[in-house]
Order: sequence, then structure tokens, then C-alpha cells
Amino acid sequence: MWIPIQINEHSTEPLYAQIEVQLRSLIVSGQIEEGTLLPSIREFAGSLSCSVITVRRVYQDLENEGLLRTKQGTGTFVAKVGNEERDEYKRVAVNEALELAVDKGRSLQYSAEELKALFMEIINRKYS
Amino acid sequence: MAEPLVVEFKDVVKDGKGKQLGPINLHFPAGYVTALVGSNGAGKSTILQMIMRCILPNEGTISWFGYPSDQLSMEIRSQICYISELPCSEEDYMTGAEVESFRSELYPLWDQQRFQVLIKQFEVPLHEKLNRISKGERRKFEIICALAARPKLLILDEPTAGLDPFAWREMIKVLQTAMEQEELSIILSTHIVEEIKRLADYIVLVHRGRVLGKVEKDTLYGAWQRVWVKGMTGEQLQQADVQLCEEEGAGLHKVTVRESELQSLLAKLEDVQIVKQESLDIEEVLKLWIDGQQP
Repeated sequence: MWIPIQINEHSTEPLYAQIEVQLRSLIVSGQIEEGTLLPSIREFAGSLSCSVITVRRVYQDLENEGLLRTKQGTGTFVAKVGNEERDEYKRVAVNEALELAVDKGRSLQYSAEELKALFMEIINRKYS
Repeated sequence: MAEPLVVEFKDVVKDGKGKQLGPINLHFPAGYVTALVGSNGAGKSTILQMIMRCILPNEGTISWFGYPSDQLSMEIRSQICYISELPCSEEDYMTGAEVESFRSELYPLWDQQRFQVLIKQFEVPLHEKLNRISKGERRKFEIICALAARPKLLILDEPTAGLDPFAWREMIKVLQTAMEQEELSIILSTHIVEEIKRLADYIVLVHRGRVLGKVEKDTLYGAWQRVWVKGMTGEQLQQADVQLCEEEGAGLHKVTVRESELQSLLAKLEDVQIVKQESLDIEEVLKLWIDGQQP
């Protein structure tokens, strides 16, 4: 199974964090379904150009969060994600993106009114 | 250390003509791929040959799976496979099939089925003399034979030199699969950054006969940062102990700094403005390391 994770070698975010954040998001958003068998640690490490040590750590972390479960001898599977968790995750992700957008506006001296107007314009365009 | 080791070097020294290798103290952990990296003539092949006892050290000890060299029994030897830079000339006039029947006698765990499957997959001719097949085919043949012996330790000296890019990709996959399914450890030397990225877990940097260190590969990602700063003069940066700095024109300076030291540097430079920041890639980090800048 191919997992669409994009590593940016030049990013200032650590490799391990890049993989974990993206994999978590794929699972919680439902893009990788419950019960999916993930690639083995060695295979995944090879395709991401990282070491097995990093992948093992990511799998371990997500297992501790309850997003993955490991069956001895079979592999690592995606666990069931509750609706509440999913909604909360979505809220946090969208919130984060909006905060970033607002910060950008502030740093370029936009007023609250101007931002609101622009925001509504985008909403009307995208949701029409 | 609680971690099981496949090979351990203790104060190993080898004297050569006008150069010395070592003293080397190194652990090769079991279940991982450790890559020896370094420029030509750094001593990588000699280290591998010492593991194989093709070259004996002048000082120090090497142990295998916890056994010292004087107890290297046939049983342990048959669990170690080595692919040298140049193929063994004694087999030049044998066909692949003849080599297979010869080697299968030597290795008690010889896996005929795996041999056949891989020979077919990589399209290696079995009924021509080995000095008549191409360099890349010979290389594939050697790797296939090594894997068919079901070793616990595989030592590869620039394993994929001469392979075309498609065969290279397939071979990396085969090695990964073997690592996954068996109790296998790999020690290899390589110049190819892509090979390090795809295969290695640990990197050992060798330079001019000295081992500069062993690191977990992924700690190299992001270890060094490149920052373009504005609003500083060269003197100001020098006063802040910036060692790696280049002027880029238009008031910009390109500063290369360890990730761990970046924050304290920025604290020293009060009015600095960061225009852009990125991590150095593995190749650049290794180059800095050779130049004396540890990651």
C-alpha cells in the first residue's frame, strides 16, 4: 500500500515530525481507512528515505495515541477513529490554518474589517 | 550496551604504506543497515576486509556476534557473506550454474529456490562463463549468491556499482525485503547518496584513515540550517562568532549554522531579519563533516 507522504528535506521541521503529522492527518481525516494494513517498517523507511528507527518511532507514537494497532506477525493496521476524535481533529486543523491566515493579514497591516470582507468574499466564491 | 552487535571493533589499527588506518572503535548493531561513507582511499574497503579477515589488523580486536577472532568457527563464517569490489577471479571460468552447485555445498542454509527466483527476476545468464557476462550481470549474480546463502551478516563493498538504474532500484528492494523477513544485518560501503537515503539506518563516516563517527542517519536531516539574513554587516556577524558566512549581495548574508546553535545566534543578533531558512541535505551535511564540522 502506497501512503501519500511527502518529505521535504529542506524543511526546518524534523523528518520524524513531518512523517508523523502527515500520517496522523491521513488516518484521522479518514483518507486511510480503518483496517488498512500499513507498509512494513523497512519498506516504509525505504520509500521515505529515512531509517527504520524513525518509522518505528512514528508507528509507536501513533499506536500510543490509539490510531494504529500492531498484530504480532501480521503487521500494523489503522485502528478505528471515533467520530468525536475526527471532528476535534478537523477543528484543530482548520483553526490552525485560519490563525495562520489572520497572522499574515495582521503582519501586512490589514484591519479586522478588511480581513472579514476578504474572508467573506472568498467564502462566497468557494461555496457558491 | 544492551543492543546486540554483529561486529565490534576495539582499538583496531592497520598500518599501510605511509598511511595508518585507525585506531577504530566501532559497533555494528544487529538488524540494521550501516553504511560506511567517505572519499576514495579513506579506508572503507580495508575496514570491510578486516571484518572478513582478508586483512588482519596490526593492533586491537574484532569480534563477530560476540565471539573474538580466534573463535571464528566455520558455523559463524557460513553466516557471513561478503561481496568485494572485484569479483573472485577463481570463478571467472565457471558458469553461474557451476558456481551455484559449488557454493551450495559450502553454505548449509543454501536456498536453492531463492537463488532460482532471483536469477530469473534479474535475468542473469546461468550457462555462460562468468567472465563472459557483463559487469552488471556479474554484480547481480554475486548479490544473488550472497542472499541465497541466507547469511545473518551481509558485507557489501559498493554493492551496486555497475548496475543500471532499474536493476539498482530492484536490488535495493530485494535487500529491503530480506532485511524484513530475516534476521539479517548489512554493512556496506557506498558513494551513492541515493543508496544511503534508501537503505541506511546508520552512517559511519570514514576520512583519511580515521572514523569520524557513527550517527543515526535521520539525525543528519535538519542538523544544519542555512539562513539568509538581512540588516547585518559582515563584521557584526563575525563578532557573533558566525563561522560559515557568505555575502550574497544586496545586504544579504548566507549563514550556515547548526540547528542546535541557531536560536542562541539569533538572540545575539538583535535586529536581524531572516529572509529565508532551509535545512541542508545529507550530502551537504556529510561534506561539512569531512571538513571538520560535526553535525
